[in-house]
This record gives sequence, C-alpha cells and structure tokens, in this order.
Amino acid sequence: MIGQRVLRVEDKRFLRGEGRYVADIALPFMREAYVLRSPQPHARIVSFDASAALALEGVDAVYTAADLPASLTPIPCRIPTHGDMTPFLQYPLARDVVRFVGEPIAVIVASSRALAEDAAELVAIEFEPLPVVADAKAALDPATPKMYPPGNIATQWGFDLGKVDDAFAQADIVVEKSFSIQRHSAMPLETRGLIASYDKARSYLEVWGPTKVPHTNRAMLARMLGMRDGDIRFAEPDVGGSFGARGEFYPEDIFIPYFAIKLGKPIRWIEDRQEHFASINHSRECTFQVKASATKDGRITAFDVVLVADLGAYIRTHGDVVPSHAAASFPGPYAIRNYRVAATAALSNKTPSGTLRAPGMFEANFAREQIVDMLAEKLGMDRAEIRRRNLIKPDEMPWYVGTQSVNRPTLFDSGDFPGLFEESVSRFGWSTPLPKGEGPVRRGRGIVALVEPSGFGPFESARIEIDPAGFATIFTGASNQGQGHETMLPQVAAEVLGIAHDRFRVRHGDTAMIPYGGGSYASRTAVMGANAVHRAALAVKAKALAAAAQMLQAKEDELALDDGKVIVAANPSRFVTLAHIARVLTPGNAELVPAPKDFIKDDHDGLTGEVFLRAIPSGTAVFSVHMADIALDTGTGELKVERYCVSGDVGRAINPMIVEGQLVGGVVQGIGGALLEELAYDEDGNLQTGSFADYLLPSSHEVPRIEALVVEKAKSISNDLGVKGCGEIGISGVAAVLANAIAHALGTGARPTKLPLTTERLLDLVEPGS
Amino acid sequence: MKPAPFDYEAPTTVADALKLLGSHEDARPIAGGQSLVPMLAFRLARPSLLVDLNRIPSLSGIEEKGGVLRIGAMTRQAKVLASDVVKRHAPLLVQALENVGHPPTRARGTIGGSCAHADPAAELPSAMIALDATMVIAGSGGERRVRADDFFIGAFETALQPGEILVALELSKQQGVSAFLEVSARKGDFGIVTVAARVAVKDGRCIDAALVLGGIAERSVRCAEAERILKEQGATPKAIDAVLAALPLDAVTMDSRSASAAHRRRLIPELCRRAIEAALASQVTP
Amino acid sequence: MTARNVSFTLNGKPATLAVEPRQTLADAVRQHLGLTGTHLGCEHGVCGACTVLLDGDAIRGCLMLAVQAEGLSITTIEGASPPEGLSVIQDAMQRHHALQCGFCSPGMVLALESLFAHTPCPGEDDIREAISGNLCRCTGYQPIVAAALSVAEKNRANLGAAAPSA
Ligand SMILES: Cc1cc2nc3c(=O)[nH]c(=O)nc-3n(C[C@@H](O)[C@H](O)[C@H](O)COP(=O)(O)OP(=O)(O)OC[C@H]3O[C@@H](n4cnc5c(N)ncnc54)[C@H](O)[C@@H]3O)c2cc1C
Ligand code: FES
Ligand code: FES
Repeated sequence: MIGQRVLRVEDKRFLRGEGRYVADIALPFMREAYVLRSPQPHARIVSFDASAALALEGVDAVYTAADLPASLTPIPCRIPTHGDMTPFLQYPLARDVVRFVGEPIAVIVASSRALAEDAAELVAIEFEPLPVVADAKAALDPATPKMYPPGNIATQWGFDLGKVDDAFAQADIVVEKSFSIQRHSAMPLETRGLIASYDKARSYLEVWGPTKVPHTNRAMLARMLGMRDGDIRFAEPDVGGSFGARGEFYPEDIFIPYFAIKLGKPIRWIEDRQEHFASINHSRECTFQVKASATKDGRITAFDVVLVADLGAYIRTHGDVVPSHAAASFPGPYAIRNYRVAATAALSNKTPSGTLRAPGMFEANFAREQIVDMLAEKLGMDRAEIRRRNLIKPDEMPWYVGTQSVNRPTLFDSGDFPGLFEESVSRFGWSTPLPKGEGPVRRGRGIVALVEPSGFGPFESARIEIDPAGFATIFTGASNQGQGHETMLPQVAAEVLGIAHDRFRVRHGDTAMIPYGGGSYASRTAVMGANAVHRAALAVKAKALAAAAQMLQAKEDELALDDGKVIVAANPSRFVTLAHIARVLTPGNAELVPAPKDFIKDDHDGLTGEVFLRAIPSGTAVFSVHMADIALDTGTGELKVERYCVSGDVGRAINPMIVEGQLVGGVVQGIGGALLEELAYDEDGNLQTGSFADYLLPSSHEVPRIEALVVEKAKSISNDLGVKGCGEIGISGVAAVLANAIAHALGTGARPTKLPLTTERLLDLVEPGS
Repeated sequence: MKPAPFDYEAPTTVADALKLLGSHEDARPIAGGQSLVPMLAFRLARPSLLVDLNRIPSLSGIEEKGGVLRIGAMTRQAKVLASDVVKRHAPLLVQALENVGHPPTRARGTIGGSCAHADPAAELPSAMIALDATMVIAGSGGERRVRADDFFIGAFETALQPGEILVALELSKQQGVSAFLEVSARKGDFGIVTVAARVAVKDGRCIDAALVLGGIAERSVRCAEAERILKEQGATPKAIDAVLAALPLDAVTMDSRSASAAHRRRLIPELCRRAIEAALASQVTP
Repeated sequence: MTARNVSFTLNGKPATLAVEPRQTLADAVRQHLGLTGTHLGCEHGVCGACTVLLDGDAIRGCLMLAVQAEGLSITTIEGASPPEGLSVIQDAMQRHHALQCGFCSPGMVLALESLFAHTPCPGEDDIREAISGNLCRCTGYQPIVAAALSVAEKNRANLGAAAPSA
C-alpha cells in the first residue's frame, strides 16, 4: 500500500459538490456576522456611533471592544520568538487606535449578511489620523514617529558563525547584491469562516471552521475567555486550502465565538474576498543584502547577510518565525561554515503577517541562489558545477548549520544531495543546448538547489479503532486542508493491518473526537501524522495477534494479517476475522477476560491502538533541485516559462501521485509569487489590491508543463517510515530559478532583484536606464 | 460583498425599458452583468432600479443587410466570437474578442455592455473605432447614430445620456486586413497596452488604415498621424518606421502600479510594429 | 427590498424561490435550496468557483441575479453529477489527481462539461482556454488539463475522429 499511486477517496465528494466547507453549514436560528474594519492605516478612534445601524430591522447587535471581557488579553504568540513581543500584540477588536487598513473594529450581527453590510454603512466612526509608518525602511528611520512606545522595530537578532571577516579577506572573489521580496499571501480559494454555537445550559461552545492547529487554537481561546478546554469543541469541516495562512488563531476566532455566547444564538461569519485581502496574514515582505565570497576553484567561503522583514502592524501568533527561518537556513544545501546574519523584524501600518508555504525559504532561496550564480559568472564557471562543488556530502550528514530557529537547531538529518543533484541535472539535460531565440525572444536556463526543513514536532497523535462489524476508523491529530490525508493515512494503516485503504474512515480536526492533535504545518503530516498512524496500526496489530493467538490456539509468530483476518500463515483456512476479534475485545464481553471472583479489574479496551508521538525538534530536511527554461520577449517584457523540472528526495513517498501533486501545485503557486502576486500599499498605508482583478493568481495559461522527479534516496533517520515532508519544496525555489534563467537570457549581468517580475521590471532589465 | 438593495424590472421592449429608465432617479440597465454585478458587490454601483435588457429580443442578433452588419447590443460576446458572418465581415472584432475575458464571461457578457461600460483598458472600444463602427442609441426622443470615435468619451464615459440605451452596432465591411495585439499581465486580462491595426492595401497602395491604442489613456486613442503616413507612403518597411516615429506617445496618461506611463509608452511602438506586420501577414481577408 | 418569486428549471426540475432582487443566483441556490456545491471564492466574477451551466454554457453564478433566472434552465454541480458515482469528466479528474482541496472542483467540472458539449475532442489549447477563468490554487492545472485530454482521447476513439478538432 505504501508507495502506491492510490486514487484519493475524498475526491468523490468534492467532485460531486458534496464537500462540506464552513459556509455550507447552517444551524437553526443562526445569525450572520459582518466585521467592520478600519479604513484607516493608523488612527485614533474618536467616536463610534452605531445607533442608526441598530435601528435597522433585522440587526441584532453591533459589538465593539467594549463588549469583550475587560480582562481579555491581546492574542499571544504560539511560537518562541526573539525577544518579548508583548508590546506589539493585537487585541481581537481595536480599542482606541487602529493600526492597519482592515483591522477589526466592530462586529455587526444580523439576520442576513447583506443586511449586516447595510447596517455597517450606517455606523459612524470619527477617526483622528496618526502618522503612518509606510514600510520597513520608514520603520528603521529614527525620525519616523513611533507606532509603539518601544518603537517600530519588533526585534533584532543574528548569528556569526566561523570567521566571516577572515573568509572575505582571503577570498579570491567577492560578490554583493540586494534583493527584495514583495508582500503577498497564501490566497486559498476558499476564504476563512466560522460558525459558533453555544449551549448555555450545558456550557458547551461548538465552533466549526478552525483548521491547521485546532487544538492549539482551542486552548488559546479557552485561556483567553477563562473557559475549560472541555467546554469547547473546535471542528474542522472540509477546507479549501491553507498554505500556511488559514487556521492561525485570528481575532475572529475569539470574537465570533464570544459574541455567539453573548447573543445566545449561533453566529456565522464567512469572510468575503475583499476582507480576506486585508485581514488574512500577509507574508514574505523582506529585503536581503547579501555578500558572498569564493575561492578560484568555486568553493563558497562565506555568506554575510542583512535581513530586514516587514511584519506589518502587529505581531501575530507566528511571532517572527518567517525571518527567523530565513536567517537560520540561509546557507541552504551548501557546506558553509562562515556565515553571518543580522536580522530585523520591522513593523509598519500594514496587515500583520505570518507564514506562507516555505516561509522564509522562498525568500532566502531567491537571494542566495542568485548570489551563487553571480559567483559562477564571476569565475566563468558552469552554474551547475559551482553548486556541485559546494553541496553538503552524504558523509557529512547529519549536518548542523549552527543556527537555530524557534528554539530548534537547523539540522539536516540525512540526504544524498549530490546524488539527487546529478540525477536531476541529467534528467533535465542541463548541458543540452537551449533552442535559439526567434526575433526579440531570448532564451535562458536556470538552476537552483535548496533544502527545506520540514516535518517539525512537537508531537502527533493517532488512534485506530476497529469496530465489532470490522470497520476501521483512523482518528488523527493532523488536520487537512486538501492534502489528501483521508487517502494517505489509510495507506499507511493498510500496510500494517492488511485492510484495504478504502475501507478506513479518517476523522480529523475535531477536538471532540481527538484529545490531542498537532495539526498541519511545515509539511508535517506525512512525517508526524503518518508515523503516528503507523505506530497506532502496529499497536492494533499486536493486540489482534495476541487475541487471535488465544482464539486460534496458535503462537503469535505463526499468524499473519490478511484482508481483514488473522490467519495461521501455514494454514490460511484457520483464521479469525478482525471483526470477530473486535467483538471479543469489546468491554464487557466475557471471552478472554472472565468475570473476576473478588475485585473489579481491567476489561477489554476494544480493538484499538492509540499513540502520541514525540518528534525530534529539528524534523527532517528535504533536498530539491529546480530547473527551468524561459523565453523572454525583449520587445514587450513578456515571459514564458517553457520547461520546468522540480525534483525532491522525499525519503519515502507514501503516495507518489499525491507527492507529485504537491510539487506541481507548489511550483505554480510559486510562479504566482514570482511573476504576478503582490499586496501593494501606497505611501499612505492604503491597500491597493482589493480584488482578484488586481491581485493576480496564475491561471491555466500562465503555467508551463512541469516535470516532477520524486526520488526516495535518503530515508529520513528521524522517523520509522523514513519519510520527509514534500509540501513546500515545489514553491520554494521558483522565484530563484526564474530569476536565474532570466539573468541567463539577458547575458548582460543584469539580474531581477525585485519581485514580482512584471513585464515592466523585465523590460527595465532589458533596457537599463530606460 | 453583497450588493446594496435595488429594485428590478425586466421589460420586453426597448420602449418599456426606456420608460422604466426614465421613471427612476438612479435606474440603470443591466446587460451581461459581467462588469456591473462586481460593481454592485463592491457597492461601487448603487442603482435604485435595475432594468434588465436580457428579455428584449430585438436587442440580440447578428444580421447582414446591404453590406452593413448589425449586431444587437445584447448579443453575447461568445456568439460574436463564434460567428462566421462576423469573421468574414469584420475579422478585427473577432481578433479583439479573443482577448476579452474567458469563456464563461463571454457567455454572458455582451458586445453592447462592453462598449457602454467603456473601460479604458477594454478591447472592444478600440476595435469599434478601428472599424469605424456606428453606435445606435435609443432614447426617449427616438434613435440616434453616433460614430464610435465620438461615442467613447472618457474612462467609463460615453455619448450615452442617462436613460438612453445602446441598441446596436453597425459595421460596414471591414476594409483591409487586421490584427489585434496586447500586452496584459495574464491572458484574458484587460490590456496594459492594446493595439488594433487595420490596413487596406490595393495595387500596392494603402487605401485605408486604422491604428488605435487602448489601455493608455481615458479612452482609446486613434493614431491619426500614423494612419496618414501609412495611407500616403504605403505599408512598406520604411513607412512603418515613419509610422512608429509618429505615434501619439504623449497621449499616454495611464500611470498605475501595474504599469507606469513610461512602460506603456515604450510598449506602444513595439506593439504597433508587430500589429501592422501581423495584419499584413494575416490570411484573413474580409 | 421585498422578496419576489422566480421560477426556473434547476437541474431538470422546476423550482420556485422567493428572492430579493439583489441576491445572486449562486447565493440563492446555496441558501434557499442547500445546493452548496456551487462555491463562492470571490463574489466578483474572477475565480470561477461559482460556475453553473445556463442552457449548457458555463457562466458565473455570482454574476447573475437570481431574479434573472426566470424561465431559464440552470444546472449546478449537483445536477451534473450522476445519481451515484462519478461522471466521465469527474472520473477522469479523480484518476489524474486533478484536485486537492476540491474547492474549485465543481466549477472546473462544469467548465469542462461546457467545453465538451461544444467540442467533444478539444486539444490542450482549447482546454486551457476553457478553464482559464477558473482559478485553482492547489493543483497547478496540469492534472486538470491531463484529465480533460484523457476524456478528449476517449471521445476521439469513440467518434473515430483522427485529429483534434479545435
Ligand atoms: C473575469 C473577468 C475578466 C474580464 N476580462 C475582460 C477583458 O479582458 N476585457 C474586457 O474588455 N472586459 C473584460 N471583462 C468585462 C467584460 O466581460 C464585460 O462583459 C463588459 O465589460 C460588460 O459587458 P456586460 O454585458 O457584462 O455589461 P454589464 O456588466 O451588464 O453592464 C456594464 C455597464 O454598461 C451599462 N450597459 C450595459 N449594456 C448597456 C446598453 N445596451 N445600453 C446602455 N448601457 C448599458 C450598464 O448599465 C453598466 O453600467 C471581464 C470580466 C470578468 C468578470
Ligand atoms: S465566486 Fe463567482 S467567480 Fe468567484
Ligand atoms: S483543488 Fe484547491 S483550489 Fe483547486
């Protein structure tokens, strides 16, 4: 089962339109909410008058910060940060100052969403504008007025490994360049949403819509509202994509449930796309100043990096994790011991930020891989060759970079980087000549190598139950936003239990069914979730064999699992079904556990297995190579990606079809980030991109044929199955490889250093100075 | 993103539609809804009454009579794109339409709606100007005809007076070969710069030419001087050089985050050259 | 504004709904009929998640008002799916792993239904154009295109046509 291209069981309901996303759920007496958001980037709220809105028939309430408990704290970080972020945390609803366009100010609850929007237009708010911190550059300028008493910088940190200055002094060549990555976001096709319902008499709050880390978020809600974990159920419906942004603990996750309690009726809030642009975590905005040195023979000797990230107006649950990962992993897959980085997390009057698929890595790869090409150019060396000479070798594994991020060491557990590199290069035909450009078209080829840390802990849970009818259910602590868990996890269990994968049901993301769960982020489900399921399946197997041994009067090692039965391997006609074993192991059943004569004792606990897995902190490291051929129209700046190949050593592919899907989908999302997508602000802090007509996602026309090369060379040593996470390598190298291919096509030394690569920017590179 | 409330009527005759439009302060026609409904959703448009033109049979259809092609304003873009008559009679219109939106937006979006909407980056206005189309307008005072070049006034502004309806477009048979080129961020998007080119060559002489730029200013810009050079000097390589030197680059006023005025300016000569060459090379001769 | 009745054919059966004029067709089928397979990804006409068929043609359910449906024939994903199992296009999409989160999938299925109704053996360019107005954030489109090509291939074999008809 493991390793097979099994078709996904969840597809049927999605294709038939029977998926149940949060907006598809309705409850009796439910009301609809609209979140009134700040139109101002930075302002004091002078007055607020909702009387006209409240007078509208069908409007139940207009809630503001004053309606939240006075003791409510701001939303805390859930991840270790560099320094204290307390001064920069966001309150669920703005109190007296708003700090970005889109910050929630009030919640209007009405009989319909349309009516709530009508009412919102009647709310009169008077603002007193405050000076705007437009971007990180302004934040770093001491002359800029302070957004917060401590200033406009959330935190600064760095690493200084080896002897960087000596390396530069002794280097044969040095190159230097600055790079900037634009603000964009995950932009899942489904917007966010929540439905909260409170049973006051039983003190039971149910919330549909949370995903990604439902258990963590439930605990945060409980702490903030002074409730018990057991009084709250978070339930994940079908989810239309997350890519890192959805499912963090957002302001709405607090005030929608709280106001449902307060109103005494269920409240549904479905974010619309316009809100989504201003309120979901933004990501990626940062600049790198990079200096690198190398010897004549192409050995890279040092990186010196200044990293400045613009995190927006508040520090959210993710803290400074994005620049933190970028700073910790900047050296990439290369054996470099002299590395210095100075990192700054700046604040500005823009939407706060968080992670987006390959957080920090997409950005760092864009800078580092261009610098590596610059070294090669300066040395007159083939661009594959310089990489070849610097990759970490198998006998150097595990490789400790020497840095940490969120208290985890940056450690590559295993890998044959040169092996995959050579396989990728030869599969693509790196040295085959590029087709000649016709007329104004110039062609170029790019290559990048990268390593993506994945599959972080701290833990994951799994329980497998086989009921007395023989039906098997997997309860996983991992959550699902479309990755295929309902197929992939059963494949793992099927391998152990000898039950076909499509006979399992998978339950996930529901705190009422699953006591503890880690969730889904950092490509961790295959690593953490699957290994937990694997061990739970082994536990079920052990139990089944032990019971069957007694029932069949055989030794355990004579038994095997086959198609829902335990058989005597030498004589398959002697068997007992798992259903039968489950019946026997039902609590209260007299078989195998006779009634005690004197005192009560432990009973059967079902044909079940439950595990809680603890992960090594550093997770696993996935190596990947991206290569692309592009055609640049030097008359118009139009870019065509003609060929794309992405490879990844995933250790072990549980379902290669799903892995390839992750790679290809990731590449296309990366093409968006490289060429099209930007959350743009004007100098006054106003968001300029408020619709899909100006925030551009790649469509079917913009994408090339993509070849995904999935190899299973270097098993992870961090887990039983040997798997590594594959969710992020597809996106991670896209901007980098396209930039390198463009620079190659230009052949003038000009480089795309600023994302996104619009026709205008590309034409600027063709005609410098124009 | 739910529209503000409005009333709705669906008349079946132009006369009734005009009456309804005249009866309400902020009444507005709705055609394919592909531009208007998003504006309603963002509450950028707040009509009191929507007068639906979709149930007026006389507003749809493609008809060739006496050398004049009449396309009803409510004819769907997809119908026009697939029409053999249009392909024969006015290939430039088809060439332009290929760049407009996507199959589902063209299945609802109308020819008249696009013209009445007059987005400065829309393709159809340029095509209409380059084809010397006549816009047929109905109002309370009866019908009037306006040349396309006079119809398009500014950004989202046309010769349509409040209460009037665009009922049809009339096209004489296209003179010469044509091409429509654009640079846009993605295929199917509005253009950053669009060029409609039409060149009629007879016995080695250029007898008619049209070169119209879109996406660069409040409305499409006809390159009169360049057209004159083409007509005087013929579509020779030398003349084309002169044409490119005579383009109205100072007409560029569109300057946005997605494309600066300078970028649009430098795209224009390149696109014009390609459009003229593509037109001359095109097999489609009406 | 007060609600008014609108009657139309929905998935082959007559339907009458009381709707406000401002309500879109997509909102109406979702809210009044519980046909939640029609998704809303943007509500301004760009993403295609709300695609429905109007007389067989794919259109935006979020850009048509429910009142405009009077007398027309509308098919949603629920109507385009067989009573059990998957249609030819749906089956091909599953086989090619042409969906991940599934949020775009009903719209994709209907965009392709509309394509195949007009062009039984489309080529790759036709397919890319047909789904160009439907955004997918997960798959990168490649497997969707592959799925559609496989249907075209099958149709070509059945029709005995030699070359792709464009
Ligand atoms: C995703 C997407 C992509 C698009 N891409 C493009 C593109 O690349 N290029 C492009 O040009 N367009 C594009 N459009 C818009 C185009 O599809 C619309 O069809 C067109 O702009 C308006 O036509 P309509 O029939 O839908 O008119 P509506 O939206 O119904 O109306 C538009 C305006 O015109 C008025 N109006 C309509 N018809 C008449 C009439 N007969 N008389 C008087 N007034 C009238 C209306 O009152 C309204 O103000 C796109 C739209 C979408 C949703
Ligand atoms: S919801 Fe209709 S196109 Fe996006
Ligand atoms: S499968 Fe998720 S958007 Fe297409």
